[in-house]
Amino acid sequence: MIYLLLIFFPIAMGAGCFVLRKQTQLVIIGAVATMLAQIALVSRLPLDQPARLLGLTLTLDPLGRLFLITFLGVGALALLASWNIPHGENFVPIALLILGMISSTLLLLQEPFVASLLLISTGLLAVLAIVDLPTGSPVLVGRATLATALKYLVLMLIAGVMMYMGFVLVSATQPALVGTSISPTHLVLALIVVGFGLRLAIVPFHSWLPDLAEDAAPMVSVLVVAIINVTCLLFLIMSFQFVFFPFEIVGGPDNQRNMWLLMVIGVITALLGAFLALAQTSMRRMVGYLVVYNAGMVLFGLATMDKVGVTGALFEAWNQTIIVLLLFVSIGLLERPDGRPANVVRRDLLWRWPVAGTGLLGGCLALLGLPPFNGFASKLLLYEAAARKGGVYLVLLLLATALALLALIRLARERLFGPSEDQPVEAAPLLLGTTELDQPADRRLEPESRGMVLLTVVLLAVCLGIGLYPQPLLGTINEVMRGLTFIQSF
Amino acid sequence: MNTLITNLPVLLIALSGGVILLLRDWRITLVALLLNYIGVAIFLAQQQFIQPDIHLGAVAISTTVLVKFISGVAATAILAITGLTFSREYNLDDLDEFSLAELRRAGRRAQRQRAAEPFRLSDYIIPFWTLMLTILASVALPRLYPIGNTTTIDFVWYWLGLIGLFTMVVAGDMLKVGLGLLLCIGSIDVLYIAVASSIQVFPLALLGLVEIVLALSIAYLSGLLYGRLKTLELNELYKR
Repeated sequence: MIYLLLIFFPIAMGAGCFVLRKQTQLVIIGAVATMLAQIALVSRLPLDQPARLLGLTLTLDPLGRLFLITFLGVGALALLASWNIPHGENFVPIALLILGMISSTLLLLQEPFVASLLLISTGLLAVLAIVDLPTGSPVLVGRATLATALKYLVLMLIAGVMMYMGFVLVSATQPALVGTSISPTHLVLALIVVGFGLRLAIVPFHSWLPDLAEDAAPMVSVLVVAIINVTCLLFLIMSFQFVFFPFEIVGGPDNQRNMWLLMVIGVITALLGAFLALAQTSMRRMVGYLVVYNAGMVLFGLATMDKVGVTGALFEAWNQTIIVLLLFVSIGLLERPDGRPANVVRRDLLWRWPVAGTGLLGGCLALLGLPPFNGFASKLLLYEAAARKGGVYLVLLLLATALALLALIRLARERLFGPSEDQPVEAAPLLLGTTELDQPADRRLEPESRGMVLLTVVLLAVCLGIGLYPQPLLGTINEVMRGLTFIQSF
Repeated sequence: MNTLITNLPVLLIALSGGVILLLRDWRITLVALLLNYIGVAIFLAQQQFIQPDIHLGAVAISTTVLVKFISGVAATAILAITGLTFSREYNLDDLDEFSLAELRRAGRRAQRQRAAEPFRLSDYIIPFWTLMLTILASVALPRLYPIGNTTTIDFVWYWLGLIGLFTMVVAGDMLKVGLGLLLCIGSIDVLYIAVASSIQVFPLALLGLVEIVLALSIAYLSGLLYGRLKTLELNELYKR
């Protein structure tokens, strides 16, 4: 019963919020209350006690609980942030529906067919959020936004089809056939790599993520990157555990080449993501490419099949949910209209909005894994796993991080630490024929709202707190790791 | 004669898929999609591993086939209604003068384009050769890489998957991209029913639901695109 409540309560609330969607503040309060109720429900749920429903097994393991509570918390904070950050008219109901679907996916991780279809449906819902315009918006939906939504729709559907096909082929294969001439191992592996690669924005399937970061509303990017993508990563881990490992598609001494291939893809993704981040002039796109870099790091950790590497990957994935929220909240605050045309580049953002600017800087440092932020502990584990696999992996991952750091330095120099526009400047001489209308408009600078300052500070404090004292979270992840047989037996 | 009747659904699937890949008019391709769903439903009903379990009047039919047929008809109906009504009209009172001017410009451009759009055989060259490639691959793959119990089953799911994929590749408008995606979903549907060791009702029902939600998403995006650019052509979307 409690499982059903967990799935259908946010969906029902989403329907209610859709009806009342014009009452923005009311629906945000209702949605946040729903998230808090869900967190209370999840923390009361008994672990590892499967229930059967319509022939399906619903269960919540410690890993699922850890991430579900995190997702619901991140969802609640994203909904709160939408109080101040521009969002679409239907954002709140869609977010509730997505969180309901994510809850069901996490409860049904052991049912690969259903989980992959739920992920497709979640992607379809996210498409509606991408093209959503605020209530009474005076502008048309942008061409680029439409193109991004279409790209996301097509790629996520192809990803889902690939995953589903892979699972069907695995279910049709007898374990005795694996390794023989009619074994579909390689086809399944190819389908998994493409399917999950598209979902997790692994190179060369990454192009949708920077586009999404650029064109979607900041909180929609949070839903997709921090919640849907990380759920997909958990699904991949559970697929390793319950599907691919028993059928010897991954893990085991005979499949070392497959895992080597995944490690190489992870390293290439990290390197290319960091390199492309360095080449960006747009703040949002740069953050998008940094997330791609991070996805490569996580994939590498997972592909090592090593206890340290997988712990690092899980820890990094958890960190990513918090950091992405911090980054996009900061971006949303920094991009508030200030009376200037949208194409005017602002170079003194840190001086103008110090908390939001610090949030962006801190979030990027955490994503790169620099001390004392939370990413440091998880990246350290990934570097350790890389060193165990061979010095060359460690060197390449460190190179990727160095490139990403350069990108961050460039962003800070060009957008955050520029000369303050408040300093008196010598007035430019008026040319003949120049009128007041030709002068740039005065900046309309409002102070940072207290609520958003508090939210940014809390998120920064979480990143610092976990960075300085990661033991409790690491302890929980280590406990989860004991149940993952594909790691122990390798 | 008997063989022809037995293979009629496969022929229907093959022909309708070919029409979807080759032709551009949404009125024809949507009819082809409906025929494709009917063909798949009849094809599944013919398979021995699907037993009739409900009676509709005098007709005994399997729930699986019925679910597939209903979801297929629903998806086609959603796209047909979109095709007939299209535009998601903006509230003009809300829009600023720049957006209004942009809408007027888009309307004029689309009108000019429609007036100057003659039938050109060259537009069909790439779809035609893609169709040839699909035929070749769908005939060869079931022999090179057999997965289902029979060659016919393998042909059907390979055909639907490849036609769907290539339809997306050659698509010039949003509705056709949607048709390609729906055909891909149809392909994994047939694969699951024909190949999975045990068929569960819930994944099948969910697959039907995904089909309908996908059709709705495509309809919504098409409406937005048409409302914005007064055309469904994708090249207008990517113009800078």
